[in-house]
Amino acid sequence: MPSTMVQSLSRATTATFEELALLFPEHQLTDEQTAAPLGLAVSVDFRGPFNGRLVLEVSTSILPLAASNMLGEHEGKQPQLQRDALGELANVICGNVLPVIAGQEAVFHLSAPKVHEDATAVSREHDAAQACTEFGVEDGRARVALFVFGDAEAMLAVTGA
Amino acid sequence: MAFNVLVVDDSAVMRQMVVRTLKMSGLPLGTVLEAANGEEGLFALQEHWVDLLLLDINMPVMNGEEMLRRLRAAPETENLPVIVVSTEGSETRLAALHELGAAIVRKPFAPETLRDTILRITGVNDAEYYGAVPVASDDGDF
Repeated sequence: MPSTMVQSLSRATTATFEELALLFPEHQLTDEQTAAPLGLAVSVDFRGPFNGRLVLEVSTSILPLAASNMLGEHEGKQPQLQRDALGELANVICGNVLPVIAGQEAVFHLSAPKVHEDATAVSREHDAAQACTEFGVEDGRARVALFVFGDAEAMLAVTGA
Repeated sequence: MAFNVLVVDDSAVMRQMVVRTLKMSGLPLGTVLEAANGEEGLFALQEHWVDLLLLDINMPVMNGEEMLRRLRAAPETENLPVIVVSTEGSETRLAALHELGAAIVRKPFAPETLRDTILRITGVNDAEYYGAVPVASDDGDF
């Protein structure tokens, strides 16, 4: 797992959580955060110089606050809007990390975010994540993984990693 | 003066966030219209006059770049202030949008970034919105 890619993913995720959701990731997880289950996942597929998927998994306990901060107190209580807000976080993380990895000239097309109640449904056994980062948020945690589909050589050729 | 604004983004959440940011920014808002893609946005502009367009790029049906090109080709919208609010990171694509006269705000954005960009692109300064700042007289008694 290239460390620069992990750093890029971590920076994009931190900036997105801080600015969009007003939540501040903690990279040293507390015991409570470590024990919090990852109950919901959202994925964003992308096509471009290389193809793949970004997966964001979170503890459901952080959803109401994230949605409230993004959309307003009333909206933050609605489960569907909580999921939509999570999708937007994943979309923005994906849109920010790809140019850092592939270069500023690369053009990617992002699909609409898909929400999954079962995080295992979005993992692909035959594709190891190219980059993954995990952090604590409030009393829960979040994990972001970047998968590249097919031949990872295509990605390595673009990124020079 | 109140701003009539059109927000074009395929994400309902992001439209809601942009509108919320606009309201929080302190700018006087008139009518705020929403559209889910460039085609819907063009229809909305046929029916309504707006002072400002906030536009996403990656959208189905008609993307933001195509909508912007069509706007610039029409005399009544060729000078409409446009702010592209997008995660788009391709310098090539951003340069093309800039040449079409759009300002760029990258997601994620801070509310004040959006507000400052609106003030800049519309040519309105803070004093026109918030009123002149009273200056303390320097001949007072101490």
